[in-house]
Amino acid sequence: MEIIKTENLDKVYEDNGIPVQALKNVNFSVRKGDFTVLAGPSGSGKTTLLNLIGALDSPTAGKIFFEENDISKKKPRELSSLRLSKLGFIFQAYNLIPVLTAIENIEFAMMLTGISEKERRQRALDVMEELGIRELADKRPNEMSGGQQQRVAVARAIVNNPMVILADEPTANLDSKTGAVLLDIMERMNKEKNITFVFSSHDPQVIERGKRLVMLHDGMIESEKEQ
Amino acid sequence: MLLRLAWRNIWRNQRRSLIILGSIVVGMAIIVFLDALVVAFLNQTFENQIGSHTAHIQINREGFKDNKTVQNYLPATETVEALVRNNPEIAHYSRRIITFGLLNSAYNSSGISFVGVNPEDEQYVTTIKQYIVEGRYFRGDANEIVMSRRTAETLQVGLGDRIVGMASTVDGDIGSEMFRVVGLYQTVSSGFDRMHAYIPLATAQHMLGLGQNVSQFALIASDLDNVPHLRSTLQESLGDKYEVLSYAEIMPLLMTMIDMSQQSMVFIYVIIGIAMIFGIINALLMSIFERIREFGVIMSIGMKNSRIFIMIMFEAVFLGIISIVGGAVIGGGITLQLQNSGMNLAAFSEGLASWGIGAVLYPELSIAVIFRAMFVILCTCLLASIWPAVKAIRLKPVEAMRYV
Ligand SMILES: Nc1ncnc2c1ncn2[C@@H]1O[C@H](COP(=O)(O)OP(=O)(O)OP(=O)(O)O)[C@@H](O)[C@H]1O
Ligand SMILES: [Mg+2]
Repeated sequence: MEIIKTENLDKVYEDNGIPVQALKNVNFSVRKGDFTVLAGPSGSGKTTLLNLIGALDSPTAGKIFFEENDISKKKPRELSSLRLSKLGFIFQAYNLIPVLTAIENIEFAMMLTGISEKERRQRALDVMEELGIRELADKRPNEMSGGQQQRVAVARAIVNNPMVILADEPTANLDSKTGAVLLDIMERMNKEKNITFVFSSHDPQVIERGKRLVMLHDGMIESEKEQ
Repeated sequence: MLLRLAWRNIWRNQRRSLIILGSIVVGMAIIVFLDALVVAFLNQTFENQIGSHTAHIQINREGFKDNKTVQNYLPATETVEALVRNNPEIAHYSRRIITFGLLNSAYNSSGISFVGVNPEDEQYVTTIKQYIVEGRYFRGDANEIVMSRRTAETLQVGLGDRIVGMASTVDGDIGSEMFRVVGLYQTVSSGFDRMHAYIPLATAQHMLGLGQNVSQFALIASDLDNVPHLRSTLQESLGDKYEVLSYAEIMPLLMTMIDMSQQSMVFIYVIIGIAMIFGIINALLMSIFERIREFGVIMSIGMKNSRIFIMIMFEAVFLGIISIVGGAVIGGGITLQLQNSGMNLAAFSEGLASWGIGAVLYPELSIAVIFRAMFVILCTCLLASIWPAVKAIRLKPVEAMRYV
C-alpha cells in the first residue's frame, strides 16, 4: 500500500535570483513498512525530496499524494497538522529542545497532539524502555552524547505512532559504531512494529542496510533497487 | 508544559534576562513610587481643602456662592437644622456666618473674610483647631478672634492684642466689634490664611444684626462616596430657595486638577512603557534569533503557529511577572519607607503652599497603586512580545532548519 506518492515533482529554488533546479520530474513512492534509503552525492536533492514528502515545503510543480490526498497545494496550517499526526522527523543534529530533559522532549511531541499529562508520561517511559534509553529520562540534551540524543529523537519521532518516519542523514554526526546502534534500533522498530522509515544518507552502512535504495543524481532518480 | 518551556527559555541567557529584568524592575519601581506620590499629593491637597474650610457639602441661600454678602443668609435656619440633625448620612455639621469685612489694628488694616463659627461644632468639620501655631482655640469668650499668623504679621499684632473688626450689617449699616487675639493658625495654604479669620457665631450674629440667622451649614458626610446622593436629597427637600453644593462644585478647579493629574499619570505610564518596551523587544528578538534552528525543529514536528506565539508571549509575561514582584518589593519598600518618614519638600514648600499642600509629603502606597503598575508592566510585556512572536511564526520550517 502506498502511503506517499509523488507525481512529476519539480522543485526550483531561487538562489540570489538564479534558479536552481533541485528536483526534476521525480516519481517516487513510500509504501507501508518501507525501510528506504535515498542516496546520492551532495546537492543531488535528497533533503529537498524528504522535505517535500514530509510536508515541510511545497513543490514548484507536480503533485504529492498523502494517502491519496494531494497535499501540494495545502495551507501551512493544514500541513502542520498533517506533520503532527502522520509524520515523524529525525534530523542530522540538534533535534531536541535544549531546555527540556529527554523525557520532556518526548512528551512535548505528545503535548502538541493534546494527549493528557498522565498518559504522556507513561507512553514516554514505555518508548524509552523499548529503545533502551530509560536511564536518559532526566538528562538534558547537553548532558547526552550525540548517539544518545539521536536515540531520544527516534523515541520522539515514533511516540505519536506516525505513518512514516523521515530521517535526514541521522547518522552523519555519529561515529560508525554509534551509527550502527541507532540503525539497529530503527531496523528493529521497522521489523517488530512495521514502522515505515525513509532515510537520506551518504553513510555506506545506512545504504547497505536499506531494504530499498533510491539513487538521486542532479535532482533526478537515477536508479531504484530492492536489496 | 508550554509554561515550563517558556519559563526555562527565559533562563537560557541568564545575563541578558537579568539585565532586562533589572530594567523592568526599575520601571515598575518608578511607576509605583510616582503613582503613590501623585496619589498622596492629590489626596493631601483634597483633604486640606475639605479640612480647612470646604467640608463635603455646603447649604446656602440660593445665590450665596456667587455673592457672599451678609444679606444672603439662610431663609430658615431651623428648617435646615431639622433636616441635618440626627441624619445618619451626616457625620457632623456646623453653622457658619461668612462675610467680608475689615480688620483694623493700631498700625494697619486688612480685608478679611469673617467666619463666625460655633467652636464645638466647627472643630469636627474643619481642622483649623489643629493648625493653631500660637495661643489657643476659642474658650467661650464673646470677643475672641483666631486669625492666621500671616494676617497677624500684616496687622502687626500678637496674642492678647486688641483689634477692631468691621463689616456691613444686614441693614446696610457698619457693624463693628472689638476682638482680642487668642490664637494664630497656619494652614498649608498661604492664600487661605490671608483670607480667613474666625470669630464666635453669636458675636458675628450680633455684629451683623443677623439675630439667630446664619449664612451656611457645612456638612461632613458619613461616607465620602455618598456625597452626590446626599447632596441631591438635601437639595430636593430644601427646594430652590437653597443651594446645596458638594465639594466638587465648590472646588471645580481642584477637581479639574485632580482629573488632569490622573490623566498625566497615564501619560507617564506610556512614557515609561515606551522606555521599557524596546529593551524587551530587543531581548526577545535576540533570544528568538539564537534559536531559529530550534523553531525549525518544533515547527517540523507540527507545533502550530498559535502555540509558538503563545509560548513567546508566556516568555514575555514571565519576564513581566518576575519584574512585578521585584518592582513591587523595591518600589513598595522605598515608598513605604517614605510613607513613614515623609518626604521633606521644604525646598519647594513656598510653591507647594500655593497648591495647598504641606512641606512634608507622605506617599500613599495602596493595592490600587500596585495593581496599576502591574497592569502597565504586563501590557508592556505583552505588547513587546507581539513583534518577536510574529517574527518567529513567519519563519518557514525548511529555511529555519537550514539556518546556521
Ligand atoms: N533553500 C534553498 N535555496 C537555494 N538553493 C537550495 C536551497 N535548498 C537547497 N538548495 C539547492 O538545491 C540543491 C539540492 O539540495 P539538497 O539540500 O536537497 O541536496 P542534498 O542531496 O540533501 O545534499 P547534501 O547531501 O549536501 O545534504 C542543491 O544545489 C542546493 O544548493
Ligand atoms: Mg541534505
